[in-house]
Amino acid sequence: MSNPVTKNYAHFEDLFVGQEIDLGATKVTKDMIVEFAREFDPFPFHLDEKAANASLLGGLSASGWHTGALCLRKLIENFPSKLASAGGVGFTKLRWKRPVMVNDTIGGTVTISKMRRTKSNPQWGILTLQFDIKNQNDQSVMTMDLMNLVEVRNPSAPIEEQTQ
Amino acid sequence: MTRWFEDIIIDEVHELGSHTFTEAEMIKFSKLYDNQYFHTDPDLAKHSHFEGVIASGWHTACIGHRYMVDFLFEVERQLLDAGERPGVSGPSPGINKMLFTTPVRDGDKVSYTMSITSKRKSGTMAGWGILIVEIVAKNQRNDLVYTQESAGFSKLRDYTPTLKQRLQEWAIQQPLLRKLMQRGK
Repeated sequence: MSNPVTKNYAHFEDLFVGQEIDLGATKVTKDMIVEFAREFDPFPFHLDEKAANASLLGGLSASGWHTGALCLRKLIENFPSKLASAGGVGFTKLRWKRPVMVNDTIGGTVTISKMRRTKSNPQWGILTLQFDIKNQNDQSVMTMDLMNLVEVRNPSAPIEEQTQ
Repeated sequence: MTRWFEDIIIDEVHELGSHTFTEAEMIKFSKLYDNQYFHTDPDLAKHSHFEGVIASGWHTACIGHRYMVDFLFEVERQLLDAGERPGVSGPSPGINKMLFTTPVRDGDKVSYTMSITSKRKSGTMAGWGILIVEIVAKNQRNDLVYTQESAGFSKLRDYTPTLKQRLQEWAIQQPLLRKLMQRGK
């Protein structure tokens, strides 16, 4: 059941708890903010500078969903030898700590904080990926714990099933 | 909700609408934000356990968010049409929990509903309440696509700010004063 697409990608066995992935830097421009917001989050404070200046956020800021999407893109781009992903499970504790304003540069790290396998699906491991996203002033803008399935190279290897 | 905090009914279910996902739209989103072969490449996706292209979970959530925003604007319009003053919803501090349970494929019709499962007055932001918002997405076969629990702010109607708070709110809307206040943080 080997998958020809992912055979050279990073599998469960290639990863370790504490591993950090640097997301590089992304400059968030006004055009990017407005384009995303028009499609997915058309509140005036994401679309219109005048309305945004009068809001409590004090200026045009990116949709939180946009910030998350940009970080997801950078994680996939920067994952060493690509992740043999088998899909996302979900996420917890997503916090938008501070708005991302026009021309802010965001970056940060994703840390593999937890790895586990289950007897019900020995072919996959479950990674917890801890996002720690900051702006150019080193202020935290977003944190999140994302759960993602990853292929196991040797599913018959014994499973130490941790109790949650 | 664009209703006042006081008017929000717990566990009332609001239909946000349905969205039919096309493969072209799923691939377009994922090429930008979730570039994995089972989201972007119909041929390679056949090798995955999904056996075809599925939507990025983030995409399905962003569409759900769009339907929620449109719903809030609609409620606001209805209140204005009825001659009432609509409430104010504030920015969301985050999502507590999101669980993707069934993949979304080409042609799937996903229906979104929203309910407020609890509300309380904010301890830190005077004049505001905190809502726990649940969004549930289901496909045309009634399979659960995702559940999402988030937090959101909603303004209290029955609240008179103190003079100091009114001054602060006024000051933050003056560009120069705002910069000074933010520098002081």
